[in-house]
Amino acid sequence: MTSFVISGRWWYTVAVVIVTAILLSPFYWVLVGSFMTAAELFGVKQSLWPQHFAVENWSNALERLFPHVRNSLLVSAATSIGTLLIAAPAAYGLVWKKPRGRQVLSSFMLVTQMLPAIVFVIPLFIVFSKINIVNTLSGLILADMTFTVPFALIMLSAYMKELPYELVEAAMVDGAGPLRAFVVVVLPMSLPGLVTVGIFSFLIPWGDLIFALSLITESSLQPLTLELYKAVGQYGIDWAFLLPGSVLTAIPAVLFVILASRFIVAGVTRGAIK
Amino acid sequence: MDPSRSIVRKVRFDASPYLFILPFVVFCLILLLYPVVYSLALSFRQATVETFVSGDMPFNGLTQYQAALADPIFWRALLNTILFAFFSILFQFTIGFLLGLLFQADFPLKNLCLALLLIPWVSPVLTAANIFKGLFNEAGPVNRLCHLVGLGPFPWLADPGYAFPATIVANIWIGFPFNFILLYAGMRSIPTDIYEAAKIDGATFWQRVGYITLPVLQPVSVAVLMLGTIYTVKVFDLVWIMTGGGPANGTHLLSTYAYQVGFSVLNFGEAAAIATLMVLLVVLLNLLQLLLQRR
Repeated sequence: MTSFVISGRWWYTVAVVIVTAILLSPFYWVLVGSFMTAAELFGVKQSLWPQHFAVENWSNALERLFPHVRNSLLVSAATSIGTLLIAAPAAYGLVWKKPRGRQVLSSFMLVTQMLPAIVFVIPLFIVFSKINIVNTLSGLILADMTFTVPFALIMLSAYMKELPYELVEAAMVDGAGPLRAFVVVVLPMSLPGLVTVGIFSFLIPWGDLIFALSLITESSLQPLTLELYKAVGQYGIDWAFLLPGSVLTAIPAVLFVILASRFIVAGVTRGAIK
Repeated sequence: MDPSRSIVRKVRFDASPYLFILPFVVFCLILLLYPVVYSLALSFRQATVETFVSGDMPFNGLTQYQAALADPIFWRALLNTILFAFFSILFQFTIGFLLGLLFQADFPLKNLCLALLLIPWVSPVLTAANIFKGLFNEAGPVNRLCHLVGLGPFPWLADPGYAFPATIVANIWIGFPFNFILLYAGMRSIPTDIYEAAKIDGATFWQRVGYITLPVLQPVSVAVLMLGTIYTVKVFDLVWIMTGGGPANGTHLLSTYAYQVGFSVLNFGEAAAIATLMVLLVVLLNLLQLLLQRR
């Protein structure tokens, strides 16, 4: 692609770095702001660097958020695992055997992706109230899975379509049952896809607000996002708590992006275009 | 070979795909299909606090739809949703496209910059919402910048006329990486020799973009625009956190308005009716895009 635009010059890198820096400046603000006092943050003299690092913002926020981080971790991990347990065999079954009605299922998955969350939130709230799983983490996990399972099925089906199925057949000829062939051959071959989907199925509930807001009113069970949402009260905003908390909420996603950018580019493109 | 064994093998072989799919199908029926049908049914029922507690929720036809359509806030929210989607997508796509062009070249630090640019998109919406709540604070950085060029200060989040564009700016920031990454990948798959040939024929850079990149990229662009429309109409957290639909109900989207009717007013029936109207809007917008694409 080198012929498309002039490249390889140091000034080109400088230009791109400047553009990237401008686009990411809001993130810089929250990062640096999380170490500032409210007075410094919105004071008359605003600086690009804290006068002195208000580390107590972070220690206070961490102390207050710790139980909620635990809730979020629990819900996200369980959602991710549950999603993979349901979607991975299903994607394999649909791609491998092409059972009747699979078109209906696939279209239904696409349709559910288009539906606004409110379509699910109200019925789930009413039904969960009736069967008494409002204010439980398992209720929240089930609700979050209505976001992650359709998405996981679409991504994994696209991924598994491209596996070399001769290997599965070879394993079957050697006497492996369908389940064994799935566990020993298909799952290891799909590992990159499973990891990507697993991580997204972790990040989606991690950032969820609408289900937690509707289903969890018991404050000891509330996830990180909800505790931070509540920090914006009628009587003003506690920025010294809100900013470190917001950075903390973003940490899993940022880590993931930096460690696995290659996977994301490939995975997103595959899932969306095909 | 033992004949009975081979029969067992055969039966297991045939049933197994369905066993693989079974948990998923059960999940779909209970947690996806049932709620969707329930929501639709609820929109024709009187479901408020009283009927919810007594549990009978009587059928009352189109009353909820009439109530929603008679409410000026509904129309404001509908208009806002369309404007929000239009301006978000316009800018997300433009920024994504230009970045895509910029990243066609290979240069040092390219992969790092690309990964970093994905941060706004993969971070939780709550983070972005709080960031922009701070940036648009009365005494925040945006007003400081405006002050430097002799403007303002503007009542960004205190006046709906300013708060609404502020939410759009925040949403553009959240969504541009998605457009960028897909358009970037689409551009990468265009063969280089087409550009080479055009270059030899004397086409300038922007001519090559206009006559090669844009037309060849069209299927990808359409996919990006349609996905963008679907995602943008669904936006809820961002506006709910930044403005809560206020001030004076002026920044409501259909999603936040439906949520308010459902969980603040506790009129689940009317909220479900608004939800159904939202689904119709998504379907309409997508049909419109398909029609425009055919032209």
